[in-house]
This record gives sequence, structure tokens and C-alpha cells, in this order.
Amino acid sequence: MATLHVLSHSPFTDARLSSCLRVLGSQDAILLCGDATYALRADTATAEALSAKTGSLRLFVLDEDATARDIALPDWAESVDYAGFVALSVHYDKVNTWL
Amino acid sequence: MKFAIALHSPAHAPSSRRALLFAKAALAQGHEIVRLFFYQDGVHSASGNVVSPQDESDTAAQWRDFVTTHQLDGVVCIAAALRRGVLNAEEAERYSRPAANLTAPWELSGLGQLHDAIQAADRLICFGGP
Amino acid sequence: MAKSLLIISRQAPWSGPDAREALDIALAGGAFDLPMAMLFMDDGVLQLATAQNASQVQQKDLTANLQALSMFGVEDLFACGTSLNQRAMQPTALSVEPLEVLDDTQIAALIDRYDQVITI
Repeated sequence: MATLHVLSHSPFTDARLSSCLRVLGSQDAILLCGDATYALRADTATAEALSAKTGSLRLFVLDEDATARDIALPDWAESVDYAGFVALSVHYDKVNTWL
Repeated sequence: MKFAIALHSPAHAPSSRRALLFAKAALAQGHEIVRLFFYQDGVHSASGNVVSPQDESDTAAQWRDFVTTHQLDGVVCIAAALRRGVLNAEEAERYSRPAANLTAPWELSGLGQLHDAIQAADRLICFGGP
Repeated sequence: MAKSLLIISRQAPWSGPDAREALDIALAGGAFDLPMAMLFMDDGVLQLATAQNASQVQQKDLTANLQALSMFGVEDLFACGTSLNQRAMQPTALSVEPLEVLDDTQIAALIDRYDQVITI
């Protein structure tokens, strides 16, 4: 079973991303949306932490949120639109949103 | 695929708009939405009293239009709604409150409807927070 | 066969309605005889503290409700060991039992085992 974890909180004042990274399954993926896209700000510890997981974690970003925040996407993150978001929720066995 | 979509945030939260856009995309791809279940602060996304500034998007109105247009099952959790002051006419009268702010197409019901939707759907997706 | 649901409760007992509303999903599921489980993680483990005086802040003590989970057929209760440790809580002195304490790898496996998950 592979789970798509969805995060929308900024990682700088919130524990959701770090907790999520602790309990990730080997086939799991993360979709960053809303303020969680700030995690990809270049030269931050969060971006480094996510970059270190390339290979074992598929990382997706909701395009409108990255664009709105002028976040340059690293090549280890994949951008999706809403159609892509729906497709991901179908592809993965379940969706776990960190509310 | 059949989707159960739960919303936990009010109309002014970005996640409410995001949930709506997800729901629209799901239908556009030919998927079915078994139920929309508004829980926790999500009950506010069903409020008929939200007044959005003219230059901002009116997500509450957009949810209403979406549910009506596609004749979807839009359920608001009664316990969560009462606690937050989101009442239909029946509940407003029952509790002698000055006004009702929940109207059609929204239905007040219990968590059993959430569980029912989870059992009927292939996918459950929740939206909340920012 | 009924789909199973894991509720992950991450908030402190009186941070707002979150602890209560996460618990309510589990109790409702149990009442309908659905396969349910609850995992307490991050600040959610604080709900399991034994010395609570909710009345001091005019809040409800959820301990009795948590203890009622098994009566509603929700017997699979878990707590995150890392979260307990971070908050200096002893795994052997929690208000609800039986409850299994899991490490991070076991939590990943737990999430994997359930058909659906709701994380509040």
C-alpha cells in the first residue's frame, strides 16, 4: 500500500512536515500545497531534508501554490495541477491529509 | 472512481477553495463524488451568511452553486455545526436561536454519513488547514 | 468486507475541539461496528496524561471518553513512542489501556495496514 501525504502548513513553525517524514512508508509520496510549498525555499533546512530523500520519496507540488509564492521547483520535485492532484489520489492507495 | 470528500476549514481558508477545485477536477475526469462531508470548521464553508468583500472570491457561494449544479450530497455535521453556530431553521427553532444560516442544498446530519461515504467510496480525501 | 479507518489524533486535549472531534469519528465508527483504530501522535499523546484537571479551565476531561473506546468496539489504540519521549511521558503511565506504543517504523506499517486514514 502506498499513501499520498498532503501537507498545507508552512514547515517553519509547524511540526506536520517533520512528523510526516518520520512515519513515511517506503512507497509513499508527499504533495505539498498551500503554505507547505515554502518547504522548497532554496537553501533552507527543510529543502535540504526533502532533497536528501530523493530516491526514496516522490515529492509533488501543487503548481498554483509554488507559482504564487515564487518558489523555484528543484528537479527532484514534480509539479501538478488539479487534474494531476486528482490523478495522484487515484494512483496512490489512499490519501492522508495532515489537517 | 468514487470519492468521499471531507472539508474541515471555513470558506475563507485556502483549503476550502482547494477542495472545491479538486472536486471540480474530479468530476471533470469522470469520477463520482459520493458525498461532501463538512466537519469541524468546514461547517462554516456551508454558511449562508458569509459576506465576502467584492474583490475577493466567494467560496461559500461557489460551494453552494457546485453542489446544486451537480446535485451532489452535501452534508454538514450537526454536532460540529451546532457548536459553531451554524444552524438550519429547524435547529434555530429547537434551540431558540435568533437566526438560521444553513439552507439548501446543505443537509445537517451525523458522523454516520461520513462513515457511510467512506465505506461507499474508493477514495477519501480530506481538506483543512491553510 | 468493511473498509478499515485509522484516526490519527495529533492535538493536545484542550487546544480546541480537535481532540474531541477526532475521538467522535472513532466512537461513531465503533458504534456502527466498523473496523477502527486510533493513534495518538505529537501533541495528541498529551490526551493520555494521567494528571489532568480539565475543570480548572472549564473544559471536558476526555479521559473517560477515551477509556470508553473499547466499549464502542475500538480496541486498537496506539501511541507514538517518539512523541511520548519528547514530552517526557512514561509509556507505562498513560490514562488509557490497553494501548500499544509504536516506534516510527511501526507507525509507517500501521498507516499502511488501514484502508483509510484521517489525521486531525
